[in-house]
Amino acid sequence: MRQYTPYFFLAPALALLCFFVIVPMGQVFYYSLLQYSFFTEHRYVGIDNYLRLAGDPNFWWTLLNSILLTFVTPVLMFVSLILALAVRNLFRTAGVVRLIFFLPVITPIVIVGIMWRWIFTEETGVLNYVLSLLSIDRIRWLTEYPVNIISTMILTIWRGMGYYMMLFLAGLAIIPKEVEEASVLDGINYRQQIWHIILPMLKPTLLFILVVSSTSAIKIFTELYILIPGAPVSNKSLVSFLYVQAFERFNFGYGSAIGMVLFIITLTFSYVNVRLLERGERT
Amino acid sequence: MIKSVTRWTIIILAAVISMFPFVWLVSTSLKGAEEIFSFPPTFIPGTIVWENYSGVWNAIPFALYLFNSGIVAVLSVGMNVILASLAGFALARYRFRHKQLLFLIVLATMMVPKEIIMIPLFTTILKMHLSDSLLGVVLPFAVEGMGIFLMRQAFLGIPKEIEEAGIMDGASPLRLWWSVMLPMTKPALATLAIFTFIGSWGDFLWPLIVLKSPEHFTVQVGLSYMLGTFVDNYRYVAAGAVLAVVPVLIVFIFMQRHFERGLFAGSEK
Repeated sequence: MRQYTPYFFLAPALALLCFFVIVPMGQVFYYSLLQYSFFTEHRYVGIDNYLRLAGDPNFWWTLLNSILLTFVTPVLMFVSLILALAVRNLFRTAGVVRLIFFLPVITPIVIVGIMWRWIFTEETGVLNYVLSLLSIDRIRWLTEYPVNIISTMILTIWRGMGYYMMLFLAGLAIIPKEVEEASVLDGINYRQQIWHIILPMLKPTLLFILVVSSTSAIKIFTELYILIPGAPVSNKSLVSFLYVQAFERFNFGYGSAIGMVLFIITLTFSYVNVRLLERGERT
Repeated sequence: MIKSVTRWTIIILAAVISMFPFVWLVSTSLKGAEEIFSFPPTFIPGTIVWENYSGVWNAIPFALYLFNSGIVAVLSVGMNVILASLAGFALARYRFRHKQLLFLIVLATMMVPKEIIMIPLFTTILKMHLSDSLLGVVLPFAVEGMGIFLMRQAFLGIPKEIEEAGIMDGASPLRLWWSVMLPMTKPALATLAIFTFIGSWGDFLWPLIVLKSPEHFTVQVGLSYMLGTFVDNYRYVAAGAVLAVVPVLIVFIFMQRHFERGLFAGSEK
């Protein structure tokens, strides 16, 4: 009896994970080989869905947009590293400071989208007003492609910057004081110090942010759903395309093929991450 | 070192950018019908209009949306905490056949993004007759690999003597878990609870797929629905959005310490 105890403890969680993660992952692959919709019988069609994807301009546009959205990563890294270097050693991160920089990341995305849609509004929005003070013409933040991708990137950077700053601060905190002091004695300037001393020691943090930020950027959906609901799907992301195909047109087979493509992309990201980490450890 | 003027300029600029959308949302939620479209936009409302809040409360079942979200959050937190700590306990404190394999399976589930398995989850929930129900929203995410991983780490950190003392007292495994070991993992439990709460309160795609009738909407689905139907009444949407942030804010303020540890949990490799 005793030797079965751990299995009893594990059983409920594992059963749910199997039923709601592992089996569905297999189903996605299986569905992607079917012509499967709400309204028709399913039929095995082999790789037809993938061939159809290859010839579907909406697929290529949304794939392009999703890849473009991952370009927020370097910007986010740069912005939040600058911010962390500025905040560093200046004050202990008091409650108010934490609240200011964490609030964007814990606020539900729908609400973030609502706030920014109002700021981006083209005729009466506050952003275009501020730009008009700088005598910049109205920018069509929401209705013009690819400007709306840039708007989404601005929202993503705003949302992530405080979180990544905190991660950088944690990374900076473990750099030994002696290392930096020694480098100052060696007479190198601040820029060289950042480049040759601080950045190499922040490598684990940089890699972590690289992976977290790009895998979440490639899966963006809600931001676009709230910001530009009326826009054609070709102006949106890969997950938007999946949503439209699967849950507005109920093409489950075709939607699953999109899901498989997304899965391969996210797996590649994880693989690259592991490889980079390994290389980092060896040198 | 950067000059301190530059540093403070960067900090203040970032803080203002970080806070501005929130301030603007609150300001919009307190404006009158004409004022929200005034150009140039006004920062502080000319007259403060509290009616937007009573409006959103009465014109749509907003209280019901909040209530539904509350149910989803409570169920999610409860199930995740219990199931993950049971599984984490077994993986940390027992030796058994296939332990490594089972742990690997748990870790592998973390590699599967939710967005990808939405279609089979939906067909499964349909077959279980749980579509358009709050249980259908909660059940597929009642336990997650990350939570099991977090609890396993917490149980690994407990000294062996404490467990042995419990066994000497003749505690059954379940009792040992509940009254001896679980209280020792309180910080990790708190972290898991907060993250599950924030995650389920803010979740959108899955509830959007599952829920069809407005009386079952969670607050995020409700807000997006309002955005579609009240396009000309952004003040109501803004007031609703302010109300929907409040619970997150409360949880954050009261449980800040645990929150921060959780944020860094993933980065400590």
